[in-house]
Amino acid sequence: MTPTLYGIEALASENLDASTRLTLRDGPLQLGWKHSGMTSDFLAEVMSLPYSRSTRDYTQAHHDIGYLSNELIENAVKFRQPGEILIEVGISGGCFFMRITNSIDSASLSRLQQLLHRLRSKEPGELLLERIESNAISEGSGSGLGLLTLLSDYDAKMAWAFEEADDDHFKLTTTALVALPPSSKL
Amino acid sequence: MEISDENFRVWTENTEVYFDGIFRLAGPDAYAPIHSMIVGLLHEGHKQVTFNLTGLEFLNSSGINLLAKLTIEARKMGELQLIVKGTNQYPWQAKSLPNLKKLHPLLDLRLA
Repeated sequence: MTPTLYGIEALASENLDASTRLTLRDGPLQLGWKHSGMTSDFLAEVMSLPYSRSTRDYTQAHHDIGYLSNELIENAVKFRQPGEILIEVGISGGCFFMRITNSIDSASLSRLQQLLHRLRSKEPGELLLERIESNAISEGSGSGLGLLTLLSDYDAKMAWAFEEADDDHFKLTTTALVALPPSSKL
Repeated sequence: MEISDENFRVWTENTEVYFDGIFRLAGPDAYAPIHSMIVGLLHEGHKQVTFNLTGLEFLNSSGINLLAKLTIEARKMGELQLIVKGTNQYPWQAKSLPNLKKLHPLLDLRLA
């Protein structure tokens, strides 16, 4: 079945064959919230190493990779259905790429699709403030805020692909990139 | 008053709230005790309250939601001056703290 695409469609089909891959699985360690932070810290440490010649560039690269990774992994851990979470990362053309694949249920799919529909007609920055205001009134879960922050404050480029799997499950593939400091000779 | 875990510490000294470390809690429920502590301070009748974020290295989007909610709470109290002290040392602050100013134009944002 052809996946349904949102965001920058070319990004969804970007070839990440040369990427570094990590797989998170539920197991004896019980995949939990803290693994999001630990995994994104690890990715930030590893992927920002080429920038270590300049303290400023290193700080920027480490932070931006860490922030993007943390938000996407938090979402994958928070909304996942049983099954593995595949993480692919790489640096190409001065940008950090990340693709994360996991299974979600139809309720999570519907919430995300509503947000993505709204993004087609509104600026992420405007939608971010709107979401913050509504969270303050309704004690909302804050869900969607990470994606809006990435798009608005980090100028991330993103694509989402959904594919029906079985029963109530959908395969969600999120691809994102952020520009890294230009001064590096990577 | 102080709330802390292995990654962060939040405490108040008179009318200043200090945030230190890494905020990566799971959502609004996990941030609720911190929210309650600071809302309590905002409602004590002070003329001015300061959020000192210069030690806050990293926060997730739920942490941003917490700061935004506290800013909106301060905005509702017309007579209260809110000062937010930040640092350019941690990249998230220059990227995301200006959003607080958009929520509350009278907020005094000091990024050094």
